[in-house]
Amino acid sequence: MAIDYIVEGFKEAVKLLIGFDKEVYEIIFLSLFVSISATVVSSIIFIPIGIHLGIKEFRWKRTLSRMLYTFMSIPSVVVGLLVSIMLSRRGPLGKFDLMYTPKAMIIAQTLLVAPLILGLTYSLAKNRGKEIEKIGKTLGAGRRDIILLIIRELKIDLIVNVVTAFSRAISEVGAVMIVGGNIKNRTRVITTTISMLKSMGDYPMAIALGIVLLLISFLVNSAIYKYTGDD
Amino acid sequence: MNIEIEGLKKYYSNKMILNIDKLEIKEGSITGLIGPNGSGKTTLMRIVSGLDLDFKGTIRYNGSLLNEEIYKKMTLVTQKPYLFRRRVFENIEFPLKVRKVDRGIRRKKVEEIMERFQIEDLKDKKGHLLSGGESQKVSLARALIFEPELLLLDEPTSNIDPESIKIMEREIIRFNEETKGTVLIVTHNIDQAKRLCHSIINLEWGRVVS
Repeated sequence: MAIDYIVEGFKEAVKLLIGFDKEVYEIIFLSLFVSISATVVSSIIFIPIGIHLGIKEFRWKRTLSRMLYTFMSIPSVVVGLLVSIMLSRRGPLGKFDLMYTPKAMIIAQTLLVAPLILGLTYSLAKNRGKEIEKIGKTLGAGRRDIILLIIRELKIDLIVNVVTAFSRAISEVGAVMIVGGNIKNRTRVITTTISMLKSMGDYPMAIALGIVLLLISFLVNSAIYKYTGDD
Repeated sequence: MNIEIEGLKKYYSNKMILNIDKLEIKEGSITGLIGPNGSGKTTLMRIVSGLDLDFKGTIRYNGSLLNEEIYKKMTLVTQKPYLFRRRVFENIEFPLKVRKVDRGIRRKKVEEIMERFQIEDLKDKKGHLLSGGESQKVSLARALIFEPELLLLDEPTSNIDPESIKIMEREIIRFNEETKGTVLIVTHNIDQAKRLCHSIINLEWGRVVS
C-alpha cells in the first residue's frame, strides 16, 4: 500500500531517535546551536534599538515603520545570497574564510531574524513603551534606565517575540543551505537534511528530523505558555 | 523649587487649552490647582513636569529652563498611577536605585516609608496587581522616597477611603514641612485644598481666574 512506506518511515524514525543515532543527534544539536546563537545575538543587539526607536519621536518614523515591516518578511534565500556574496572568497569579508561554516550560518540567521526582532520590539515599544518611559522620567530615570525598565516591564511580550524569531530561524532552510552548504558532519542542520533526504527518497531519517522539529516547537511553546500563564 | 510661568499657551488642534500670562509658584509652598473638568489642570501638570514640551511661553525652575538635571528633582503622581510589574518594595525603591543610592540606605528608607504609609503588608505583592487605593498610596510613597524638590500631584487621593486620604495628606504635609519641597496639587475637593494648601489657583477655560 502507498501508506506503508510512511508507516515504515515513522517506525524507523522512532528507532533512530530512541537509539540515539549519532548523526541524527549531531544534526539536531547543530541546528539548536546555530538558531539559538543567532536569536540571542540578534536579541541583544536589536531589542534595545527597537525600544529606543519605538519611544523616540523623529522625522522619518513612519517611513522607518514601513521599511521594518517590509523587511520582516524578507525571504531567507535572499539573506543567504547576500551573506554568501559578502563571505565568498571574492567578497569583502572573504579573507575571514567563514563560508560553509557554522559561523556563516549564525551570521545569516542573525540577519534573517533581525528585522523580525527589531520590528516586533519597535511596534511593542511604540504602543506600550511610552507610558513606561513617562513614569521612568518622572521618577528620575536616565535613557539607559528607561530602556532597561521597558525591557523588564514588557519582558513577557519580548520573550514571545524572541520565540517567534527563534521559530523562524530553526525552521528556515534557504539561508543555511546557501551559506552552510549542507556539508556532512560540519554544517548539516535539520531543515537542510530533510530537504536533501527527501530528494534522495530516504524518508525514515527525514521523518525523524521532522518529528524533532515539531517536538522543539512544542517544547518551546509549552515553556512560554507556562511562563506567561504563571505571571 | 520656585516655578515662574510666563506667556504659557497650549493648543490642541487649533483649540486653545491653556493661556496663562503670568503665574508664580513659591518655593516651599503647597499650592492647590482647582477648576472644572477640561479647564487645563492636567495639561498644566504635564507641561510643568516636562512630559509635554509642545507649548509656547517659558517656564523657569529656580531661574533655569527645563533640563535633564531639573527632571531628576521633580516627580508627578497621577490619578491612575502605573506601578511596575515587580514587588511593591522594588517599586518604591526604584527612584533611589536610579540615583545609585547605597543598597543598605535604600532598604532602610523603603521600610521607613512603608511603615509611615501603613503598607508593610503589601511589601511582596506585585505592583500591577494592587487595588486602585493601594496603588495610589504606593505611588505617593514612591514619589516621596527621594525627597523631590517639586512634587506634582494630579488628584492623588480620588476614589480612596477616608483613612487612606488622612495618611496621604499627613505625609504630603510632613514632606513639605520637613524638606521644604514645593507641592502643586490638582484636586476637586475644596475641603482638601483648604486643609493642605497655602494658596489655591482657580483655573477655568485654561486661564487663571483667581
